[in-house]
Formats: sequence, C-alpha cells, structure tokens
Amino acid sequence: MNAENKMPDNSPIPPSHAPEEAVIDQAPAIPAGRIGQRLVDLGHTIEHLGNDAKGTEMIRLTREQALTVANVLRHDAECTFDMMLMVTGLDWKTHRESVYHLNSTTTFTYLIVKIAADEQDHSPSLMPVWHACDWHEREAYDLFGINYDGHPDLRRILMPNYWLGHPLRKDYVEDDPRLVWNRR
Amino acid sequence: MSVKSLNTELPGVSVEMGMDTNDMVVNIGPQHPSTHGVLRLVTTLNGEVVKEMEPVIGYLHRSKEKMGESRSLFQYQPTIDRVEYLSSFYDHLVFVNCVEQIADIPVPKRVQYIRMITMELNRITSHLLWFGTFLLDLGASTPFFWCFRDREEIFTLFEDLTGARMMYNYYRFGGVNNDLPAGWLEEVRAFVKEFPNRLDEYEAVVTKNPIVMDRTRGHGIMSKEFCLKYGVTGPALRAAGHALDLRKTNPYCCYDEIDFDVATATEADTYARYKVRVQEIRESLKIIEQCIQKMPGGDGGPLAELKREVETQTKAKKKWKEGEPEIVVPHWDKDWETMGKKINLLTYKPPAGEVTNFVESPRGVLGCHMITDGTPKAYRIKWRGASFSNLSALPELMRGHMYSDLMAIFGSLDVIMPEVDR
Repeated sequence: MNAENKMPDNSPIPPSHAPEEAVIDQAPAIPAGRIGQRLVDLGHTIEHLGNDAKGTEMIRLTREQALTVANVLRHDAECTFDMMLMVTGLDWKTHRESVYHLNSTTTFTYLIVKIAADEQDHSPSLMPVWHACDWHEREAYDLFGINYDGHPDLRRILMPNYWLGHPLRKDYVEDDPRLVWNRR
Repeated sequence: MSVKSLNTELPGVSVEMGMDTNDMVVNIGPQHPSTHGVLRLVTTLNGEVVKEMEPVIGYLHRSKEKMGESRSLFQYQPTIDRVEYLSSFYDHLVFVNCVEQIADIPVPKRVQYIRMITMELNRITSHLLWFGTFLLDLGASTPFFWCFRDREEIFTLFEDLTGARMMYNYYRFGGVNNDLPAGWLEEVRAFVKEFPNRLDEYEAVVTKNPIVMDRTRGHGIMSKEFCLKYGVTGPALRAAGHALDLRKTNPYCCYDEIDFDVATATEADTYARYKVRVQEIRESLKIIEQCIQKMPGGDGGPLAELKREVETQTKAKKKWKEGEPEIVVPHWDKDWETMGKKINLLTYKPPAGEVTNFVESPRGVLGCHMITDGTPKAYRIKWRGASFSNLSALPELMRGHMYSDLMAIFGSLDVIMPEVDR
C-alpha cells in the first residue's frame, strides 16, 4: 500500500449538501392524531398540523369541506365536540385565518380547527353547527375583517359601528387622524 | 315567568280583557347600578314581560389583545391583571402556563402549591363578591357588608404575599415572584378554620330565606343543552347537572393530587347556581387545607433560614482544605425552589410556538391562545373570558321573563364586564 492509496481514506469526505437539502425541502409528513385519523377513516382528506406545545391536536380544513367536517366533529360518536370555546382570528399578513377551539364534554379533549380565509377574507360561518360561534365570529369580523358567509348577524361587537378598519390587523395604521393622539 | 303563566296567575290583566299593550323599547345602561360594569341592554318590553333583548358591549374595550402584540411578554404581564380584576390570579396562571409550555420551563412543586392556594383564595373572594352583590340586587344589603369584611381579610393576606390587594402580578415564568413570608401559611390556616362558621351563618340567613327562594327558584332555567349551545361554562353549567370542572377533568397545577368534589346541582335555575357557588367556596376551603398540609418545604420562614444555611455551607465547602473539620451541607430539595429556571425577564425571548391553555376560573373556562415567533413580543394573544360566552346566552334566557327578574337572573350568571370586553 502506498501513500496515494491511503490519501482518500484519511482526507475528510467533501461535504455534499445536496441530499440533506432535499430532505429539508420535503416537509416531514405530520402523522395524524386520534381525531385526524378518525376523520381520514370516515373519508375526509384533511391537513394534519400535529400538536401544539401543550399536546392539543390541530387540524386544518379547507373552506369547502368546513361545514361537512364540522358536522362530523359535532355528531360523530368518537369525536363529540359539542362545545365551541372560542374563535381566534389571525392575521398572517398574506391571509387571514380563523382558529376554532373545540371541547368535548364527554371525553374532555380539546381540538383546534384552523380554516384559512380566501383573498377577499371570506370564510364559512360554523354557526349552523355550533351556535356559540355567534359572538365569537362577530368579534373576529370586528377585529380582523374576516367575513363569515352564512352568519345571520355579522356586525361589529366591540368597536363602535362607525369605526373604520379592523384594529388587530398587522397593517392597521396608527397615524390615523381619527385616533385621539394624532389630533394634537 | 312566561307570558302564558302570567295570564293564568293574574287572570284578566292582559289579553283577555282586551287590554293589549304596545311593545316598548327600554334602554338599560350603560351605567345601570346593577350591571356590574358598563353594559347596555336594549330591551323590548311587552308590559313587564321581556320580548327581545340586545346586549351592547364594548364600552370597556381596552385592546388587551393589541397590547400583547406591542409589548414584550414581561412588560405585558402587569396589564393582564385588568383582564378580569376580580380573580386575576387565574389570568396570570393561564398566561404564564402558555409561556412555560412554549419554552418548556420546569415549574417546581412548591410553586404549583403556592399557585393553588392563592387561586383558591381568589375564588373565595370572587364568589364572596358575587354573593354580596347578588343579594344586593335582590334587595338584601346586609350580606354585602359581611362579604366585604371577609374579602378584606383575604386581601390582607394577599397584600402580605404580593404587595398588592387586587392587582397582584405575582406569578413568573417558571415560578413566583417571592417565597411565602414567615407565618403566612399559619394565617391562612387560621382563616380557613374560622371561615366555615361564618359561611354557615350567612347560609342560615339566606339559603332558606322565603324571599330569596321565591325570587330565585324556577327562574332563569338553563338546561345542559342550552349551556352547550351558547358555550356557557362554570357554575351555570354545573348547576345544570353537568360536572365539567377543568380542575377535575383536565387537571393542571397539582389538582390531581388533591381530593375534592365538584359541586353540582340538577335544578338549573337561579337558586341552583347560588347553591353551587356556596358549595364551591366550601370545596375551595377543603383544597386550601390540603395544600397547606402537602406544601413542599412547609412554611416560608424556616425554609428561608434553611436556604441561607445551605448557601453559606456550600460556599464554605468550596474553600474546604485537607485537615479542617468536615462541613455538612443540609439537604435541599429541588421541589422547594420558587423558580424553576433563572430567566432574565427583561431580555427574555421565548422560542417560536403555539399553545392554548384553559383553566377553571370562578366564572367558567378561561383561556389564552398564544402564538410566539421568537421575538420578545407575542405574535398574537387571544383571551377567552368565560363571561363573554355566558353573556351571549342572556337574550334567550330572558325571553318571556318579567322585567323585575332581570337583575336576579343576570346577577346569577356572575358576568364581569372587563372580561367580556377585554
């Protein structure tokens, strides 16, 4: 054995990032949780988002399937999410999103359901399924401008009726002449 | 009392005599003395019977959620006392729990027990205030003063512990601000021992009082289905016979180590909600008593001395040389700490994450949904006040009732407006 043969063995292998990058580009498939698996078994294609930091299961629904799947979540024997706790409006700068926090009063489990609004900020109202969405969706409309299609009484709830704009949006201007501190 | 029963009980007063009344819109509030805050109710009355009711809220909107996006988490923390000022320990717990779970900060056991004691004492103050003002709404003014006397005692305990009577700002990420002062647990124990006697006294005056029973029994019935429809939680749901108490069903802190019962009733009326709340005060006393017994490290005074001893001996042991007498460091348990992890709060940045927490506040399920993006500020903080959902049930609950029952029924929901408007 001569030195030339030994050289490749001792020299560090040139790093090639190509295969690793390819792995990073493919987002690892998030496994379905208990509820997500149940929905898949019932024939609904949904997006699994894994668990949040506390371990609550999160799923995302498209606008078209939202009402159908919500009905399943409400009435299916294994889901039984009979209580809607709150609706969080979210502004991701590119689009708006509503987050429904559900609770089952028989199995005492939580579920987080996310529904992204379209470009015109339209999203289906889940009020036919959970009546409690009434005020919560009005609040999300008031603060984020998400228009809930099918909501019977979509008005502002916290801000005055004459208010312009939706204050919790990230692009909400603070130098608006209507605001008190800008009148000075 | 519905319109039908009004006709049967007072025959000839309304439709039968041809004395039709026109609908009348009455504006109640925003500064009605009995609305416990700034609430406006636009009410359509037919005679004295409520036909329609439209709550107008937002007068106390202080943009707590927007404030959370413009301040660092530590700067934001003192302001969340004001989300719900009657039981602000709960706001802090749910907020602090969110950060702890996102950043995976350990919480020592002593801290959990201190939090449980303070929260249950806070539940008692909150229920006592409800007890006093509810009876004030019914026309009894004496219990109000009794309740405030007892609240003052608890507030003095809180002042010794946190330095503030109502706005505590006591919990920290992974711990509490300071350990218990010397002798504080003894004072709490004395209060817990004495208070049931006073509660018996109050109940002797109120619970079987014929006026209270006449005005509350059979009024404002909220069935279980009705509560689920509107997302009503807390004592109102438990008075309908559904034992949803997150302390029992989804235990947080160390509630799974405590033996207590969930107060429930089956009548689902205003009187049942009264009974559930009084029973909850007794359960809270039971929890506090067990917490004092199980408190890791015991009273704060001896523990502080022990800690000082441990620190001096540890320092001495580092300088120890051969031949000197041996130095014994006393045993120090990690459960006795008041901070799980040292954090520089001024520059603290939690990692990016998302979490939702729910706790059982005196009014129902209190929740916080927090999204962080790796900066000191939160990307989004959303509060779920139990009163918001409870209040949304009021219009349907009041339909067909007499106007004079409004304050009795509304009072029994224990709605607090700062939590509705945030």
